[in-house]
Amino acid sequence: MNAYTYEEIEIGHTETFEVTVTEESLDAFRGITGDVNPLHRDDEFAKARGMKGHVAFGLLTASYLSALAGVYLPGKRSLVQSLEIKFASPVYPGDTLTVSGEVTEKNDAYRVLRLKVAVRNGKGEKVLRGTMQIGFTEEGHG
Amino acid sequence: MTREEVMERINRIFRDNFDDESLVIVDETNAEDIEDWDSLEHINLVMAMEKDFGLKFNLKEVGELKNVGEMADLILRKLSV
Repeated sequence: MNAYTYEEIEIGHTETFEVTVTEESLDAFRGITGDVNPLHRDDEFAKARGMKGHVAFGLLTASYLSALAGVYLPGKRSLVQSLEIKFASPVYPGDTLTVSGEVTEKNDAYRVLRLKVAVRNGKGEKVLRGTMQIGFTEEGHG
Repeated sequence: MTREEVMERINRIFRDNFDDESLVIVDETNAEDIEDWDSLEHINLVMAMEKDFGLKFNLKEVGELKNVGEMADLILRKLSV
């Protein structure tokens, strides 16, 4: 796990990791959220609506941004404040995703980072894009 | 830049930030007047003003502000330095 401090991070700092979306991760997400919509489990239903098969939950794809902030950028001291995202293309079970974030802005007064975030599939297509605002936790409170 | 121009730009920033074209900001406007003006939006407003006016604030400066009029005065002071 990374543990960058605010001062160590510069504009342009980028972190990337890969993750494969599995049927198990869809099952886990379904169990947590209760979203039993057939688009995410029924191939016939999904194909009748123009998909290649059942598709991963958009918010499952977005959930990897939690690891981007909490493990990679800035890592241990991360405190996610806001997230704005768009789902650009469907994600299917078996897809290996590349999750990336680049620091585009720093605010010294509030010690806050703004990141441009993106998730790409194995073909390099952007399946998610957006922005994320992240602060830093500090010891000594409570 | 005149104080009136600063207030106009601040008004634009508030409208953009809160997605509300009907917002009218006056000197006395503070967080109690706008429902969505919470601590997170406060950070967003300060960051938007830094970007728009090409300034940097420190935490002490923005922590002492009581309303938008004081923010406008702070911006004018920093622009004149």
